[in-house]
Amino acid sequence: MTLHGKAAGRPGRPAFLLALPSLLVFVGVGVVPLALIAVWSLWSFDPDTYWIKPVWTLASYDALLKNGRSIVFLQTAGLAALTATVSTLLAVPAATVIGLLTRPRRATLLIALFTIPFFTSGLVRAFAWRLVLGREGVVNNALISFGVVRTPVEWLLFSDFAVVLGMVAAYLPFAVIPIVLVFTRIEHSVIRASQDLGAGFWRIFFSIVLPLIMPGMVAGFLFVFVVAIGTSMEVQLLGGAGASSISIMINDVMRVVNFPLAFSIATVVVILLIALIVIANHTLRLSFMFEDLGT
Amino acid sequence: LTLEPIITSRTNGGRPLFTAIMALCLAIMYAPSLYLLLASLNPGEQLGLVAPSRYSLTWYVALMNDHRLFGALEESAIVGFATAVLATPIGLLAALAYRAMTRTRNLFFLFILSAMFVPGTIEGLGLSVVLKLVHVRPSWFTVMIGHLLWALPFAVTVLLIGLSAVKTNTVAAARDLGAGPFRAFVDITLPLMRGSLVSSFIFAFLLSLNEHARAYYLVGRQNTLPLYMFGAMNSGASPTIYAFSGAILVVSFAAVALVLFAAPRRQDGHRAESLRRDHDNAFYQFSVGSSRGAGTISAAANR
Repeated sequence: MTLHGKAAGRPGRPAFLLALPSLLVFVGVGVVPLALIAVWSLWSFDPDTYWIKPVWTLASYDALLKNGRSIVFLQTAGLAALTATVSTLLAVPAATVIGLLTRPRRATLLIALFTIPFFTSGLVRAFAWRLVLGREGVVNNALISFGVVRTPVEWLLFSDFAVVLGMVAAYLPFAVIPIVLVFTRIEHSVIRASQDLGAGFWRIFFSIVLPLIMPGMVAGFLFVFVVAIGTSMEVQLLGGAGASSISIMINDVMRVVNFPLAFSIATVVVILLIALIVIANHTLRLSFMFEDLGT
Repeated sequence: LTLEPIITSRTNGGRPLFTAIMALCLAIMYAPSLYLLLASLNPGEQLGLVAPSRYSLTWYVALMNDHRLFGALEESAIVGFATAVLATPIGLLAALAYRAMTRTRNLFFLFILSAMFVPGTIEGLGLSVVLKLVHVRPSWFTVMIGHLLWALPFAVTVLLIGLSAVKTNTVAAARDLGAGPFRAFVDITLPLMRGSLVSSFIFAFLLSLNEHARAYYLVGRQNTLPLYMFGAMNSGASPTIYAFSGAILVVSFAAVALVLFAAPRRQDGHRAESLRRDHDNAFYQFSVGSSRGAGTISAAANR
């Protein structure tokens, strides 16, 4: 078995054999279930077996548009877009500090700080906002003791505000890391040259840095948006009464064993997300960011 | 990398403004968790901070009597360990495959990383229905299958970056000296990748330990930790839930800190300054690359 195709000069079959276990997992556990879901979303519910039968129908897609379900789609997309916008606006200055304004050693530490949240419990981090934003939380206590308000501010928790704040805090790294990666590709001489020619910081930032990091900003926005579309725990823990999201809607529909409807919602979401990524990738060449990964 | 910031001159307020925004980012990412951690040390019934002299582990001790918690903990530990044990070697093979590939590598990588983009609820739903059809009873095993799909893209990304530190020249030298491909792999490639193998294992374990949406659909009779916690969080707050959350946070932070800080430092203890700089560079790449964002763009982009 050749482990390094390039060195041994005969790539092809060994590469395939090495890739086989992971391909089996991704196809068997990922692709096959999603493809079956897409097919089954076109079958009809069978009340005799509490399962579906192969009678083709578009009924579930019709039901998708009823009972305010399309509103849940729009609400989820709206909150995700707002989250992605806020995250990107915060991420650009943060990534600029890492990429331009600080020493490499400190930049490494900062990148680590933006990496750690990926591997800690999102559930706990969302839950922690309840302590901070509640009627007797830190924020309300501070506002009252400074005399800003007399009674606790109600809309801080169990509101769209809390959901967006929780999601921004959770998914900010998705926006920061791509921009940091783009910064590593900027030629320092470009910045130095503009300094030599007399450009001030803001001129450099807006005329040179911002256009160069644009692909990272778009990628970051997209990642936050996609992840925020799929999440449910922030809405469940921080959202107001009756707040819903696409994922919560799927859970609810499954609770009443309406399989075709759950499958059709899932199918629509997966197709939309894939389309979004493909279109963004075709219109903006993002590839230069990662050219030397793993080579 | 130079040792100085790229822009050292005056910034007309840019530096303080941007630094303040970055501090705000870190604050909203970390402050609530740290607050929860401190509040969990409050021995009283109501929440809030107390003076450090009154800190107490009362609620952590109370956790010891929660038998359902230990059931969930055991389940999550089994699932997480099995996920990490499978994800690391499969991820290693995938990373080696990526290196051996030529034209197909970007497509392959895109395929692997696309699993990150599918909402967990949908992956869990699809997998649970399929497993039911083939008569696999829900258990720790079904949860582990779902978590494997979730952890594998991270494992592959971390291991790819680890593999990129193994220069092809080094392996070629071993081959010139008469080592077979397997011997070169075991004696050269594997030892050089030790750090990223450990990282991949720990990350896979943590991702599994904290995963909620997939487990919701795949779990058997015994809840996993996040499912149990979610129930406790929504059913009237007993202060033990804060101790519980605090314990999870401490374990996760400690494990990630171990990977990010302890492992690299141990390695460069006996190296020259020039090498240390190289190493900083590698660590920088590692930190960047081990995030989801890193691989995903490359995947979405390289096709």
